[in-house]
Amino acid sequence: MEAFYGRRSVLTNYVFRRLLAVIPVIVGVIAVVFILTSIVPGDPARLMVGQRGDPATIQKLREDLGLNRPLWQQFIDFFKGVVTLDLGRSYRTRMPVIQAIAERLPITARLALASMALAVTSGVTLGMVAALKQNSMLDYGSMIAALIGISAPSFWVGIMLVVLFCVQLRWIPGTGTGDGSWIYLVLPALTLGMRPAALIARLTRSGMLEVLGQDYIRTARSKGLTEKAVIIGHALKNAMIPVITVVGTGMAEMLGGAIVVEKLFSLPGVGRLGIEAILNRDFAIIRGQVLFMALIFVVTNLLVDLSYPLFDPRIKYGRTWRRE
Amino acid sequence: MLRNKPFIIAITILLITGVLSGCANTLSTAPEAEMKNKYGGTYRMAIIQSPLSLDPVHAVDTSSSRIVYQLFETLVDVDSDGEVIPNLAKEWDISDNGLVYTFKLREGVKFHSAIGEGIITENGGREVTAKDWVWTFKHIIDPDTNSERAYFLDMIKGYADYREGETEALEGVVAKDEYTLEIVLDHPFAPFITMLAYNTFSVIPREDVEMWGQDFGFNPVGTGPFRFSEWIQDDRVVLTRNEDYWRKDEEGNSLPYLNGMEFRTINDLTMQWTEFGLGNLEAIESVDDPYYHEALEKYPDSFLRKPQMGTYFYGMNVTAKPFDNKKVRQAINYAIDRQGIIDRLRNGRATPAKGVLPPGMFGYNPDLEGYTYDPQKARKLLAEAGYPDGIEITLQYNTDDIHKRIAEAFQQQMKDAGIEVKLRHMDGAALFEAMGKGEATFFRLGWVVDYPDPDNFLHVLLNSANFGPLGNFTLYKNDEFDRLTNEARVESDPEERRKMYQEAEKIVVEEAPWLFVYHYTTEQLLQPYVKDYSLPPFGEHNAIFYSVWLDK
Repeated sequence: MEAFYGRRSVLTNYVFRRLLAVIPVIVGVIAVVFILTSIVPGDPARLMVGQRGDPATIQKLREDLGLNRPLWQQFIDFFKGVVTLDLGRSYRTRMPVIQAIAERLPITARLALASMALAVTSGVTLGMVAALKQNSMLDYGSMIAALIGISAPSFWVGIMLVVLFCVQLRWIPGTGTGDGSWIYLVLPALTLGMRPAALIARLTRSGMLEVLGQDYIRTARSKGLTEKAVIIGHALKNAMIPVITVVGTGMAEMLGGAIVVEKLFSLPGVGRLGIEAILNRDFAIIRGQVLFMALIFVVTNLLVDLSYPLFDPRIKYGRTWRRE
Repeated sequence: MLRNKPFIIAITILLITGVLSGCANTLSTAPEAEMKNKYGGTYRMAIIQSPLSLDPVHAVDTSSSRIVYQLFETLVDVDSDGEVIPNLAKEWDISDNGLVYTFKLREGVKFHSAIGEGIITENGGREVTAKDWVWTFKHIIDPDTNSERAYFLDMIKGYADYREGETEALEGVVAKDEYTLEIVLDHPFAPFITMLAYNTFSVIPREDVEMWGQDFGFNPVGTGPFRFSEWIQDDRVVLTRNEDYWRKDEEGNSLPYLNGMEFRTINDLTMQWTEFGLGNLEAIESVDDPYYHEALEKYPDSFLRKPQMGTYFYGMNVTAKPFDNKKVRQAINYAIDRQGIIDRLRNGRATPAKGVLPPGMFGYNPDLEGYTYDPQKARKLLAEAGYPDGIEITLQYNTDDIHKRIAEAFQQQMKDAGIEVKLRHMDGAALFEAMGKGEATFFRLGWVVDYPDPDNFLHVLLNSANFGPLGNFTLYKNDEFDRLTNEARVESDPEERRKMYQEAEKIVVEEAPWLFVYHYTTEQLLQPYVKDYSLPPFGEHNAIFYSVWLDK
């Protein structure tokens, strides 16, 4: 680690600074959510009583939910809650917000990780093959597959996969979480991982092509290294920088894509929680969910930044970089 | 080959009769075999929305009430013809003045002794007595409970005083003895007994409600045929058989037959249909239009359908131009081709609405004339109303595929009558707000009864006492209509009531504050091996499963 990051204290400082920067980001994001929820028409208390309800009950609900208080006060209360890890209860189901998110988190995490693993392995393989066999049928084939992967809408692909693997071939028993076995994760992960896989394939291909033409590759070859060592050890490692960026931003994008996939495959994840909350004006859940998403986004970005030096020693963090 | 044709036909006929007689034999020996096989199995059903709360005092959506009806029980029930039948009250008496209801409670009814994975409930499985009912009604009405449906009970004597904290006791609900409950009303309210079948008015054990507090909805304890086992949010709710259930079948065998029930949330209707086809489900909540004919063909005997006590309509704010003119409202009613919309867009899965009350409902008037499809007449009426060049109106509806298709067809049809319709769609929350602020003057709504009585349509949706969120969004006010619907509430003679409601409905049809579109159909697609299921007329979400069994 020392070799990659320079002195440890420098790294710690860097991480600490980055984590501090999270606070204004979160405050900003939540402020936007508060403003949006106050602009969007639709009164949660009104909605809770159904199509018809008596005004006294609606008023009482508004008071219970704190909706009758000024927005700025609700905003401050929310952050008081963040500090004490109490984000209130869902307006609709009355479940504590933290519990609602925590219960759904494992599903989304499993889905996102499985999709990403699938995307990275298939994307890097396809991209590498395409680059090494440039302008061959393999190259064209991989890139056409990547193009389809980027453009095909996931709700359609998902249904097609179910028709093929569940209905026709009967390899997979159905949708949902079933008995909790991994087999139920395959189709959702395929559906969700398809787009990042395609992006990674294209980026790997172009990255590899660029790197393969550089001097140090020629040097490596002239040192007498085997082709395998050159490609895996030298070329691929450097071509990975843009790919890692995609993995980082892709994780966040996946949490968005998870909404569609979770809904389609009936997976009880965080994405579905969010979309239902928006439709039902469940502000407590919306705020909690956005806070959580923002945190994930910031943390994955930080992790991505920290991982660059692992792949490219020229990238270092902190003052040591400037000293060299 | 051709010469052999008669022979082949003869053989075929013989074979068919042979098979049929075979069938007949198995049918005749069925009862004995049935008894052995009735028990066991899990009824798995796909639902579109995850329930909001399994606490009956907060269960206001169909997803919640569908499950609440398995876990909890009310004093009375409504059978598949809409008649009130005993449930936890085995009999009752209504005083001549219609104010005092005396219920004889069933003995030996016990609260669930355990829920989840062997969690012993606070009540420990004790018997339900009249005291529990007194506490339950107080709990529902208590402002701190904030039950969305407490106001249904505002005719109970002492309601207001208790709500405002002026009395400790709820005057109108009294335990006369262990098994006698008396409810006294402030003023006669004829639909009261029917209303008590609504899921909110289920008995709940005080100990468990107090222990769980706000989390009672996630740990529900009732008396129903099934007890709560597990709820994975947005995924599934699992119920297991209540071993101590009081009800027995005709031979005295214990009920329910099913080992358990499982409600899986599957938002996507294509996926519901696919999973049903795979045999992963015993029932699905809704068959989407593209699969409707296939479902009819494949499951001719287990795709149940019947008219539902509900009406799909477009409301008009009668205080806003141009809807303040009766002739305009009538013109719109003449300009729509209801049957065309139902046939072409809904696969015939509805009945054209001539008025407010759906078929099957007490007071439904089969002789009501209603509005025919007559664009010429619509034009004439518009001209008479002072709009010879037609009108331009905006229809607002909540975003949904079916609503959109109907609205677009409506838009086309209105053109023939010189009515230009602009369409605006928004989600339900935004539509309610627009209606509340008077920004939406022409809006789509639907109504399915809470309790099967015309009061729940005519009074709550059109009486001028219920303006706004109480139900009358059109702000329609007619003194004669108000009088009739008010008096029908207190009238105890059913025939008189029927007449009053039919007269009131005539007035409202003539005055047309709604565009009457259609009456819903309730449906339930089941696997052919699901037996003894009966489809309730006010929607499949009211079905109770104590006698349902699986023949497989």
